Order: sequence, then C-alpha cells, then structure tokens
Amino acid sequence: MSKASVIVVGSGAGGSAAAWALRRAGHPVLILEKGRNLLPGLGTHHGIGSLFGNDEVKAGRAFENQDEILEPRTSRTQEEAGQGVDRSFIGDVNDLPTVAGGGTIHWDAKTPRFWKQDFKALSLYGPVPGATMADWPLSYDDLAPYYDRVEARLGVQGDVHRMPKRTLEQAPRRHQFPLPPNPPMYAGKLLAEGAASLGYEAYPFPMAINSVEGHHGRARCNSCGFCSGFGCPINARGSAAVSFLHEALLHGAKLRPRSFVYRIDTTKNGKLARGVSYLDSRGRKRKARADIVILAASGIETARLLLLSRSAAHPHGLANRSGQVGRNLMFHFVTLGIGIFTDDVHAWRGPSTTFVIDDFIGPYTGPEAKNAGLPYLKGGLCETGGDILLLDEAQIYAAPPNSWGKQHKNLMRQSVFRRHLAGMSMLGEDMPQAANRVDLDPKIRDVYGFPVPRITRSQHKFELASSSYYGPKLAEICQRAPGAVSGQVIPAGTLSSNNATGDLTGGLASTAHIMGTARMGHDPRHSVVDAFGRAHEVENLFVADGSPFVTAGGFNPTLTIMALSLRMAEHIAGVRYERARGRRHRPRHH
Amino acid sequence: MGEGISRRSFVRAGGALGLLALVPRARLEELLAASARAAGTGGGHFLTAHELDTLRAVCGRLVPGPPDDPDPGAREAHVPEAIDLLLGAFRVSPPMIHAGGPFSRRAGGKRDDFTHFVRLDRHAALGWRIRLEGTRGKRQREFAGPVRGLQQIYREGLAHLDSRAAGHFAALPGPAQDAILSDQSDDQVQELVGVALSNTLEAMYGPPEYGGNRGLVGWKYTHWPGDRQPRGYTDAQVSGLDAGGPGFKLDAKALRGMERFLPALAGVRPSRERFWLRSRGLRGR
Ligand SMILES: Cc1cc2nc3c(=O)[nH]c(=O)nc-3n(C[C@H](O)[C@H](O)[C@H](O)COP(=O)(O)OP(=O)(O)OC[C@H]3O[C@@H](n4cnc5c(N)ncnc54)[C@H](O)[C@@H]3O)c2cc1C
Ligand code: SF4
Repeated sequence: MSKASVIVVGSGAGGSAAAWALRRAGHPVLILEKGRNLLPGLGTHHGIGSLFGNDEVKAGRAFENQDEILEPRTSRTQEEAGQGVDRSFIGDVNDLPTVAGGGTIHWDAKTPRFWKQDFKALSLYGPVPGATMADWPLSYDDLAPYYDRVEARLGVQGDVHRMPKRTLEQAPRRHQFPLPPNPPMYAGKLLAEGAASLGYEAYPFPMAINSVEGHHGRARCNSCGFCSGFGCPINARGSAAVSFLHEALLHGAKLRPRSFVYRIDTTKNGKLARGVSYLDSRGRKRKARADIVILAASGIETARLLLLSRSAAHPHGLANRSGQVGRNLMFHFVTLGIGIFTDDVHAWRGPSTTFVIDDFIGPYTGPEAKNAGLPYLKGGLCETGGDILLLDEAQIYAAPPNSWGKQHKNLMRQSVFRRHLAGMSMLGEDMPQAANRVDLDPKIRDVYGFPVPRITRSQHKFELASSSYYGPKLAEICQRAPGAVSGQVIPAGTLSSNNATGDLTGGLASTAHIMGTARMGHDPRHSVVDAFGRAHEVENLFVADGSPFVTAGGFNPTLTIMALSLRMAEHIAGVRYERARGRRHRPRHH
Repeated sequence: MGEGISRRSFVRAGGALGLLALVPRARLEELLAASARAAGTGGGHFLTAHELDTLRAVCGRLVPGPPDDPDPGAREAHVPEAIDLLLGAFRVSPPMIHAGGPFSRRAGGKRDDFTHFVRLDRHAALGWRIRLEGTRGKRQREFAGPVRGLQQIYREGLAHLDSRAAGHFAALPGPAQDAILSDQSDDQVQELVGVALSNTLEAMYGPPEYGGNRGLVGWKYTHWPGDRQPRGYTDAQVSGLDAGGPGFKLDAKALRGMERFLPALAGVRPSRERFWLRSRGLRGR
C-alpha cells in the first residue's frame, strides 16, 4: 500500500530532516522552498558543489540571505504597541537565509544539546513574573535517541571525555562524538586558559564540522576562517542541505525552489489540511495536494503562514483557537565579552570557535536575582574566540560620525580588532512572553503581495538582569587570558538600545535564533501543537522548526529543532493518517 | 587539506544550469577602463565624466592614498570606477553583483571561479534593481514603501557637493573637501557620505573581482590574506602564533582609542530604506 504523501514547506533545518526521514520511510515527499539552490549538484550523483566563496562583499549582498528589500519584516516594542504605534522599523528583523538548506547554509554549526532542566523549568524552578514559563510536553530522555541520530548524520565533532560532569549529568550521552575536535584555535586556547584560572571549564564545542577527510564523502575543514555567516566553499560543514536534503533528493524527494507558499488549504470544516497554495518561480499561482503538510518555514514565517491561512473554520488563523499562534517569540539575548591581546591572535583562522563554556547556564538564585525581583537568573553557552574579518573591521571603524580618512586608514593598519581581539559571546536564555509575538502587519506587503510578519518585542527584565550578572564574568575571563591587555563587556542592554531609535537592530535581535511561535503542549487551550509537532486542531498538519519550542534554553537551537523533527517524522511514519479527500494520493506535480 | 577532495567535491554543474556567467579578467579591465575613460568621453556606466571626477575626490578623502597617506588609497584601488560599475550593473551583462565560488586562483585554486558571476534570477534582479534604481513610484516596486536608489543618491548627492563648493567640489583643496564631507548638519551630504563610504570600503577591501582593490592594495597594506580556499590554514597556523608575524605589538594609546568602536561590534541591521548601512560586527551565533 502506498504511504501518505507529504508536503514540506521550507528546506531548512527542520524541513530537510523531516523530508529525509519520511522519504527513507517510503513516503512521497515534495519540498517547497522560496529560495534558490546555491549548491550545484545537490541531490545528484555528481556530488555537491558550492557557489560560496571567501567573499565578504557577496556575504553582505543578499546572496543567500533573505532580501529585506523584497521581503521586509516590521517591528515595534511592546510599549509602542501599547501606544498604538503600528511599527517603528521596516527591514531585516532577525532574518535567516532564504535558500535551499535554510539557515544552516551559513551557520556556525554549533550543535549543543539542551539540558534536562530545560524541559521541566516550570516544575523545577517555578514561575517567573511576567513570563509564560511552562514545561515541555516531553523530556530529555524522549529526545536523546534523536539527538544521537542527528549528530551522526551531521557529523558532529566533540570530545565526551573533556565535558564537565554537570554537562553530562544534564545532557547524558550514550556515545562518544562521531568526529574528533578541530585543531584548537589559538585565541580560543588563551580564553580557555583565562576561564580555567577562574575555575571555569572550557571544552571543545560540539560542532557539525568535518574534522576527518572524506567523512560522509566530504572534505575536511581547512580552517579557512570565513565560516560564521558564509556558505562553506568545500562543504566541510554539515547542514540541512548536505546532511539531509541531499540524500532525501537522491532517494526521490522533490525540491521546488523559488516556490513561495502563501496559504495552507484545508477542508471546508477546517479539520484537515489538503495541501498548500504557492507562487512558482515565475509568479504563477499553484496548488499542491498531499495527505500531510509539514510547516518548517522557521519560527517567524511559520506563524505568519498560519495567520495568513485563516478561514471561516479558523477565523483567527489556522490552528489558532488558543490564540497562541505567533506568541512567546524567543530570540535569545547576546552578551559580548571583548578581549584585546598584545599579540596577533588571529581569531579569524578556523571555524567560528573551537571551545565553549557552560558555567553560566544557571539557574542562579543568589541575591542579584532576588534584588531584580526574579526567582533566578540564567545565562547561556558562551563561545570563546569570536572574530572580525577585514571588511567587518573597516565597517566597525567607520561607524562613528566622521570616522573616515587618514585616521580610518591608520586604524586599519594597526588592526586592533582584527588582529588583537578575541571575543566571547554568550547567547542567553530569554523568557517567553505572551506579548512578544508575530502577527501580520496591517499595511506593509512583501514582493509577493502578502502582509509581512510584524514582530512586537521587548526584553524581559530577566534578560537584562542576567546579562548584567554574567557579563562582567565574561570580561574577567578575557582579562585573565594570557597576554590580554584589556577585557570589556557589552551587555544585552547596550545592544538593545537601538530599540529607542526604532531600529530593532544590532546584536540583540540578530541572534538568528527563532523560537516559540507555535508552542507545543498537551493542552489545546494553551498550545498550538502536541508533543509530536502536530497541530491540535488540524490532524494532518505538523510544525517542524523552532516554533514549537516552549522555552529557549541557553543553547543554540538547531540540533534540537532537527531532533524534534526526526521524532515527529517517526511518529508520522508509524501512524496511519486519514486522507484529506477520502483516498490516498500523491502530491500533484504540475 | 586534500586537493583530491576539493576537486572531487566541487561540481561544475553551475555553468551547466545557467547559474553562472564568466567575466574574464580582460573583460573586467575593459569595463573599468570604460569608467576610467569617462573623463574624456562623457560617461561611465552610470556616472557622467564630471560626476566621476567628483566621486574620485570623495573616495580619495574617505580612504586617502599618497601623498596624504603612505599606502595606496581608494583612487589607486580603482574604487570610484568599481562604484560606477555597480551603479550601472544592469547596463552590463551579467550584472556583477555576486561573484562566483568556491575559489579564486589566489590560494591554490585551479580555476578562477570568482570571475564566474552568479546570474541574478527574476527575484534577485528585482531586489537589485530597487537598490540601484529605487522604487520610483512604480506600483510593482512600492509594496513596502519607497526606497531611494543608489543611482539617485549619488546623482543628487554629488551635485549637492558641487553646490556646497561654489560649483566644483573636486577642485577644492583636500581640507576644504573634508570640511564639507564632515558637516553633520547637512543631511544630504551625510546621506551621500554614508552610501559612498559603505561602497568604498567594499570596493577597497573586498575581492578584486568586483573591480576595486586593484593590485590587492587593500589587502597588502593591511596584511590581509584574502580568500583562503582551497588552501586554508594548517593546524599549526590555527593553533599557534606565527613565527615572525607582522611583529608589532599594541600600545596603550591605541587601546584607549578603541573604546568608541565597541558598540559597533554588535553589528548594524539598518532599516530597509538605508540598506547600505548594514554591517555584521563580531561574528558567531
Ligand atoms: C550566521 C548564523 C549562524 C548560526 N549559527 C548557528 C549555530 O551555530 N547553531 C545553531 O543551532 N544555530 C545556528 N544558527 C541558526 C540556524 O540557522 C537556525 O536555527 C535554523 O536554520 C532554523 O531552522 P528552521 O528549520 O527553523 O528554519 P530555516 O533553516 O530558516 O529554514 C526555513 C526555510 O523555509 C523557507 N521558507 C520560509 N517561508 C517560506 C514560504 N512561505 N514558502 C516556502 N519556503 C519558505 C526559507 O527560505 C528557509 O529556507 C545560525 C544562523 C545564522 C544566520
Ligand atoms: S572554516 Fe571550515 S567549515 Fe568553516 S567555511 Fe572554512 S572550511 Fe568550511
């Protein structure tokens, strides 16, 4: 008997993992992706190429990135929303790449696991005022086997023997990592020493970067240094595209690039999804039909798509009887530590980082928390060795007014930030808030003619208090590193100051981590999807990106997105789904 | 790293798929020469001969070369011509917006992939038309509000500089030009400076395939290795200090001067109508 046919919207982390697993289980799979494919040979037996290069100009020119001219987003703060301001910013609001492979096409490929405590934060640590903390409807143990599988496919490097005891208690591992760590970066080693002198434990950051020539037929990372924010020219970096999508396509899944999905179509009673409506590469309206629809357009776009798909049966947006679609949007918050060294520490050689510190995950319940009126504070993972490339450096020195001419050239010659700087960035957990949300902008349209997503967002005092508590510790580590002449901190509050000018810009919003807009839970009154990512109200509609996250954790989210996606796919493959139109059929290929 | 793998894993399917279009070095030279000749013939790709002269003066102040600075500057790097080529991108086939990949020949690559520019498809081309030409009140471009294009900003901005200089900005002495360019009370000047600075830095410090960074002058004086694929770095280069590296250490005065740049480490995501102000800041997510 033929298997249920599947449409996947979006070919990024969640979408490609689902497509791969379902195709392997024998399901017909059609992937609709609004971006282009920039990896020639992807899905063919010729092997995978790359149109990416070590090119800072191209990386800044909407090559793989969503083009904010054509597909802008809008934003405003909660306070502005309260005053009736429709938007105070139009542009890039935490945009991710729009391309076959999604955000992972140019990610840093850091793949930490969430900790046990993340899934049960409400029961363990109690509520946080003004936040919608909740437990996940699943546990670390439910997810662990899928973490193993994703790590194996991505080709994750790391060393279980160098991980702190608390890390392994919170995120137990059955196996050593598939690959050994990259050669340690010089700047990272210095910061790791600084950390060690303060009693913190730096260990190799688990990363989907190939450290062994030929593993999965891919090249070994040669440490070219144009890593974070650049497509890998030699595909040494594991990703949705090279690790999942490629094989899914080889086994018969279909990818249609430049296909913009604008609506999920349902049966009249709204109980079943029938497929989707989309614009093809020439702008023509198309429909595709399948037994199952999986949304993996990333947190912001998935919420937008559900809201765009409102109907008589779903007047507030598809699967939104709870009113939770778009809410609890989480981005993490960034705190930067900046170390300056006398030597040229070339932090830009190698991938984005080689070490990580998890001493600041928390929760911390000391006086600083109480003084802020909070039950606890939490930070997040902290990478050691962030860097600046040449054009980055030139732009940074040009930022203050009248900062050009001879002085600019002298700065470039001296090169304090490129040659002598090594940064630490802590991506901290942020609180889910009902008022931090995605809805449809009442006026602004994208190039396709549809309302753009509007992001309403303000920091919770939790993030600001946590950043001011942990931030100085980052500076201290930098200061203690051998050869350091200065250690500074740039706390989250500074990074968010752009909000005041209406530009929701800078480090705070551009974390590239998008979570929470279609929360998972057992109770349909307070959540959008169940523990398998299935919409409570639409039996054959699933969500497979960061949107189901209940809390943000202090961890880069993508490994968890992919693990959830594989778990969802296994569930789908094991359950017989009713068909939208009474009989089984494949996606129609026009 | 194994050359074998890089050869095996890179597929030339891009050309076959019609994704790529070659701009050989000689053709790039010709295109730049067309701008350079503008002074004699009355027009580059977009700018007029006079506008190009004014732009040369501006770029020369933003990133000065000899005699103001010992190392070559924007003029020597052919930055103004590269900007003209960008402004007139759609008058050239293919528009040279996105250089190809994965390798140039500078770091062990066998072929010069950077010169195989990636074709803009319908969607990407519209984005770049709006950036360069603006929305110009056209309905199919104004879905999210108006955008002033770079062409208009340069044309009006360069003319405005002349009006601030009694008709001829390029003829003023350097310090007088600086005084106008740094006038923070003049929004039109600052709009032009913002755009020109952003484009100048790209063309000065980016790969030479876009027409600037001639002779790699922007990489030489900064000791920047540029693109490193497929050679990359050895494990020793990653994990250790360079023997006999650039050799100079940081002094305390230099350090104090850096504080004012710390906020820019957060990066800038400008609003849509000021798209050129984008910068990445400290990397790592
Ligand atoms: C510079 C950078 C570094 C990063 N580093 C890390 C890291 O080290 N570790 C980590 O965990 N995460 C990292 N991330 C974040 C990571 O990329 C995302 O978490 C991840 O890609 C999200 O997966 P997703 O499936 O939710 O969405 P995406 O990967 O964004 O995929 C969504 C896809 O859907 C497509 N799409 C959207 N809307 C539509 C529509 N209407 N119709 C059709 N297609 C549509 C998009 O084009 C996109 O391809 C980084 C991101 C960036 C930008
Ligand atoms: S540093 Fe390694 S993984 Fe990153 S882009 Fe270069 S070769 Fe690829």
